[in-house]
Order: sequence, then structure tokens, then C-alpha cells
Amino acid sequence: MIELTLHDYELDDDCYKIRLFLSLLQRPYAKIAVDAYPGGEQRSPRYLKLNPRGLLPILADGDLVLCEADAILGYLARQYDGGNVWLPSEAAPFGQVLQWLAFANDPLKAASAARRHAMLEEAGSDGTAIRTARNGFRIMEDHMTKREFAGGEWFVGGAATIADIALFPAIALSRDFGIDHDEFAALRRWMGRVRKLPGFITMPGIPAFY
Amino acid sequence: MTGDGWHAVSLSNGIEAGCSAGTRLFDKEIVLWRDTDGVAHAWEDRCPHRGMRLSFGFVRGTHIACLYHGWQYDAEGQCRFIPAHPELKVPGTIRVTTYLCRERLGMVWMCNSPATASAGPAVAERVVTPVRSIHADCPFNTAVSVLAGHGTVLDQGVGLLSIRAGELSLLIAAQHYGDARTALHVVIEGAHDSYGSTAQIAAATWAEQIRLELESQAAPAAEAIAHRRALR
Repeated sequence: MIELTLHDYELDDDCYKIRLFLSLLQRPYAKIAVDAYPGGEQRSPRYLKLNPRGLLPILADGDLVLCEADAILGYLARQYDGGNVWLPSEAAPFGQVLQWLAFANDPLKAASAARRHAMLEEAGSDGTAIRTARNGFRIMEDHMTKREFAGGEWFVGGAATIADIALFPAIALSRDFGIDHDEFAALRRWMGRVRKLPGFITMPGIPAFY
Repeated sequence: MTGDGWHAVSLSNGIEAGCSAGTRLFDKEIVLWRDTDGVAHAWEDRCPHRGMRLSFGFVRGTHIACLYHGWQYDAEGQCRFIPAHPELKVPGTIRVTTYLCRERLGMVWMCNSPATASAGPAVAERVVTPVRSIHADCPFNTAVSVLAGHGTVLDQGVGLLSIRAGELSLLIAAQHYGDARTALHVVIEGAHDSYGSTAQIAAATWAEQIRLELESQAAPAAEAIAHRRALR
């Protein structure tokens, strides 16, 4: 029996994080397509009962209902990855993963905002969001450049973690809002490694061929 | 044409075999790609079919294919295969503009004048250790003059400088990416064995500092331009 249910919107980068991670974990789940655009169904009374913030994704596992992509990634890692690879149990890498999860919210939420503005004509964005996102990508590029010199292939430790999952969509989708990958050679190599993870899936805007 | 001659456009390890990436030279969009034989190519970043950027495309063997409709081009830029018309012998007129491309000093160089045959960039080959490419929002001339304050201009034409950074001797090639952006391709002079990752990390950190310096130099100039425009 499938216990996991994801309330999902195909074009949402946060929902994609969960679909990607479930695929990497090889966990079957039921997907409920929410009419987020143009319907705004995630803000309907029915959905506000599940998440008062009116945001996706929402994951239900039995009686548990979880919102916020980072929380869902953390839960899925603890619950379904017995080896603690995706969310290390050791204090230092655990802290580093949390640090990058925070980074995926600020500054990288600016990338989500810039993309929604570019693609769904959502209000806002005077270019500030794009500048904030680019600065975020530079910090990621500087980090991965130096990690690679010492043989590191992932943002934290010796294997892919949920930090890599949380950071991937914003840069992989950045050409949707006009930030090219020209100046991010180390992130290009890292994205290539993410794409080679067994079970990797794409979303609209992330080409299957590369 | 502006910027005739040879220009560094990437570190060699910035373009892996079987991969493509975009860049710009004097604001002109360029696709850099490396075939699976390891040969690097620099072309106009435009599929002749629908104008899609080939840097979004994918490399298969010695061909690069456009992401839109899969048109495949061989290493000479000649279209060889159109998936929607598999039986068609593709006309010789369907070609991408290509540029001469060579690798020196651990960098990919392209010649910005298709007609000019030449042996390659006029830089002596030496053993180097790659560090990184770094982009700064700063005009090319400002970048070169600021860098010259840290070292010696070896060749103004190709934008090559020698810089002393602490114990390290760096070679930097500057790329005129656009009017307000310069790319710096940074390597350490000498073999990796004699330096190792500690030196690479130190050089990368130095490059981050230089980016800050270049952008703090460039910011007042950009503000002055905006101010003049506002007064008009």
C-alpha cells in the first residue's frame, strides 16, 4: 500500500525537490496535482487546512502532514534512508547540511521569485531578485570550486546529501529568468554529477538531454 | 572587427569532454564544446534552424545537437542530420559559423576573425596548474589596469598578465565578455605536483578578492554613467 501522498505542482521548484528526492530514494508515492497556476488552489480553504501558509509542497505520510520542502527532505531522509547518507547523523556534516538548506531559502528563494515573475507573470521583481540570486550562485560556485581542489564532489562530505537536492533546482532553472551558466564552471560540473545520480528525474525547464 | 585575434574564453577543465557551455566575447554569444575525442570547439552560439542557442544543446561523439529539434552538426559546423527528415541529404549551406580554437596554458583560446588562419595564440606554452575562471562586473580596460597594479602585463593584445600572489606566481588571461563584464582565467605557473590543492585554494581565494576589488572600482563608474544618462 502506498502511504505517501505529495500535493504537487509540476512547475514549482520546491515540489520538484520532493519528487526528485522520492525518485532517488525509490519510494513509491501518490501524487495529487494542485491547480496552483492559474487556479491558486493551494490557497483554497481546503488547502489552507493542510498548510495555513498556502504554499506547496505538502506531504502526507499516514497521519503526518508536513509542509516546507526542507522539512520534508529532512523527514524523508530520516524515515526512509536507513544509512543516514542523505542527512548525516554526525554533528559537523549535519550542521553543514542545515547551513545549505538555510541557504536554499535565503538567498535562493529570490531565484524562485525571479522565475515566477519571468514565467508566470507574478508581480514584483525590479531586478533585485535576479541580483540576489546571482550573488547566491557565486557563493555556491566559490564553495564548489574549492571543494573540487580537495577532491570534493558534493556540497557537504563524500556523498550527495539533501543539501545538493535543495540547491539544485534554482541554478538548474536559472536560464528561465535570464541567468546563464557561463560563469559557473564548478556548478556545471556539479550539476552533471547530480544528473548522474541513480533515479535522477528532470522537470520542465531542465532538459533531459545535456 | 572589434577584438580581432586570439582570446582566452575558458579554462580547459571548464569544458569537459561531451559537454557544452556558453560564453561571450565582445558581447557576441559563443558556444564552447568538447567532443568525446577531447577536441575543443568555439562556434557562434546559434542553430541556423530556429536561432536556438547551441550551448543548450548536447554533445554526442563528434557532433553537437540542438536542444530544440535535434539538428546535428559535425566538428566543422556542417549540419549532418535532421531527425524530422532522417532520409534527407542535408544541404551544404546549413552551417554554423565556427572559429579557430586552440588550447594553451590550460586555457581554451578562440580567434575572433574566422578568415584569419593562424598557428594559434602568440603565447609560449608552459606547465600550469588550473585554478578557476571568475567573472567581474567591470569593463575590460579597467580590469587590466587594476590587475597590472598587481603584476606585469605580458601581452596586451591577448590580455595576458603575470601576477605575484603571496608565494604563488599566477598567469591570468582576461576576456572581454561584454562592455561591463570581464572574465579572468587564472592558472598557477608550474606543475600540480609542486603546488597541490592548498595552493589552488589560496589562488582561488585571491581571485575572489580581486573580483571584489574590480567591482568596487567599476561601481562608481557605472553610477556615473547612470547619472549622466539621468541628466540627459
